[in-house]
Amino acid sequence: MCAGILATFAITLIFKTSYTTNFAQGVISALGAYVAVELTLEHGLPLWGVAIIGVVVAFGVGVVIDVLIFRQGKNVNALGKQIITMGLISLFVGIIPFVFAVASYESVPLQPFIPLTEQLVIGEGATRVAIPYNTIIALAITAVLMVLVFVLLHKSKWGLSVRATASNEIVAGMMGVNTKVITAISWGIAGALGAVAAIIYVGNATFSSSLVMTSTQINAFLAGILGGFITFHGPVVGAIIIYLLNAIVGCICIHVPELSMWKPVLVYGIVMLLVLIKPQGLFGKKMVKKV
Amino acid sequence: MIKTNDYLVKKMLDEQAKERSAKRALQIFHKFKISPVLGYLIFAAVLIVLQSLSSDKIISTSFISAVGSTLIYCIVALGFCLLLGYSALASLGTAGFVGIGAYCCYYCLAEYGVGVGVAFLMVIAVAIGVGIFVGVISLRIEGIYLAIVTLGVSQIIKEVLVALVEGSARISFKDIVLMGQTYSVREIKGAVFYLIVAVLLILMWVVHNLINSPTGRAMLAMKNSTSAAQAFGISLMKYRLLAFVLSTIMAALAGLLYMLYIRSDMPSTSTLLTLSTSLNILGAVIIGGTKSIWGTIGGTFIIFGIDEMFLQDIEFFNENPTLITIVCGLLVILVVMFFPGGLVQLVRTGIFKLKTLFAKWRVRRYGIEE
Repeated sequence: MCAGILATFAITLIFKTSYTTNFAQGVISALGAYVAVELTLEHGLPLWGVAIIGVVVAFGVGVVIDVLIFRQGKNVNALGKQIITMGLISLFVGIIPFVFAVASYESVPLQPFIPLTEQLVIGEGATRVAIPYNTIIALAITAVLMVLVFVLLHKSKWGLSVRATASNEIVAGMMGVNTKVITAISWGIAGALGAVAAIIYVGNATFSSSLVMTSTQINAFLAGILGGFITFHGPVVGAIIIYLLNAIVGCICIHVPELSMWKPVLVYGIVMLLVLIKPQGLFGKKMVKKV
Repeated sequence: MIKTNDYLVKKMLDEQAKERSAKRALQIFHKFKISPVLGYLIFAAVLIVLQSLSSDKIISTSFISAVGSTLIYCIVALGFCLLLGYSALASLGTAGFVGIGAYCCYYCLAEYGVGVGVAFLMVIAVAIGVGIFVGVISLRIEGIYLAIVTLGVSQIIKEVLVALVEGSARISFKDIVLMGQTYSVREIKGAVFYLIVAVLLILMWVVHNLINSPTGRAMLAMKNSTSAAQAFGISLMKYRLLAFVLSTIMAALAGLLYMLYIRSDMPSTSTLLTLSTSLNILGAVIIGGTKSIWGTIGGTFIIFGIDEMFLQDIEFFNENPTLITIVCGLLVILVVMFFPGGLVQLVRTGIFKLKTLFAKWRVRRYGIEE
């Protein structure tokens, strides 16, 4: 869930500043996680250090992608941009096995920050709930990052420039905002947030391929549609709704075992139904395009 | 004074004659131009000859098998070409729809024991249903959301199939009835190859007619400017949905043929159901040229064909199987950024340059025709 929220914000940031749905987000974040995993398992560096290196690498990759590809292709239309991000997936999926030795492992045993056996126990008997400390740390990291990003977005000069670029790039440029730098930094931040998400995610699940983040990314996109890409907070709320929905349907499935096969279909169906009722998303409003 | 005038007139006549002879040279080329449908027939004939050569053991079975599976991907790519090139929509659910076709075929044949004909109809019906359901929801919002929604649908189809099919799906019967004839296991591969060629030929003809019909023109108008198309009374929803459903049907049919041709698949480890398949199909269509049938087929042979037919035998490529993915991704980005016409555009420019060269050579060699 933490990973999902971070990934959703990253995708929204790029959607707003570059006007495209970044399908390569999952692969870029997986790249960051691979850097961290490679450094711990092959070179034995401590996890906290390599996590930061992984995040920095993902930031760099994001900036490079924007400078080398999206800045050059200003005359590429919306579909073309979408296709470029799809091409980027192929590119990174191909490159990762070349660069990283860990990619040839069957599954990568990345240790979580704190072993999953150490748990915080609340209550006793029937109401006993055990939460691994690792999950709490992941939640804390996510919360701190999201608060930081939203405060920056609404209070800082950088945030103002991003919001200006998002609402109208040309006018923002005329007003003296350096839109090129803003877009590049947005790509970098999206990559970095993605890498944090991937490292958190990998600590909880098995790490099998460079497409490991695909399902998180799908949830993030769905959250974007559900919350509406018009606002920054909409998709994040959408992500929380989707993960709650997942948990609720999961609970129902425990009691009705025949349903468990159709669990993803159910969640997806409910989200689609909501979208059908509100096509612009829960927080969206209709954008009128002038010709 | 008169002399100069004469000179000018002569020069003008000379130039006119030069132009005429250049035109004549171009006409010679046009004599070789064949109608597109005849081209498709020749393509099919070549494939049938290849297959019969392979049954005489002149061509290796693995080669013809690679050609067969590439042709199946050609069918998928053809549908995708209609979607991407003519209505400017991108879908990432191709793999899922191919999977629907494949496993629908498996259930029809192996579990319920009905014929291939019934399976064909079933697959088409299911594809139409899924296509309309997914299309209506996603296209109602905005065109670019189709890729997002189909990406999710594809993932869900995979998860459901993994849960539905325990272990591996295998059509493991002794013989199969195709067009009223019974084939044994040994003959089936050849028979299905002919079926693939027939389906591909029919679909090429259908797509060719569709894109030259008012429907195709409407789609093209919609691609170039949605606002202008709407002003001319073209319903965006109707044509987008039509293109999407058609591409879904083609993907599902390809899935059916895949199941008949390969005859076994496993949902949890299958390469067919992964995101890479969808991306490779997209790459093939982009690289080949989004608006051309021949371009699509050429692109598919580059992405899928070359790898399966030749590179598998070379050790270097066998050890680094992801190299082709890198090339595909890189080519997609470069083509979209700098060369939107794709391979077909390159070939067309090449042919045009050759023609002008030929015309110039003719004038130099034979002089000016009177």
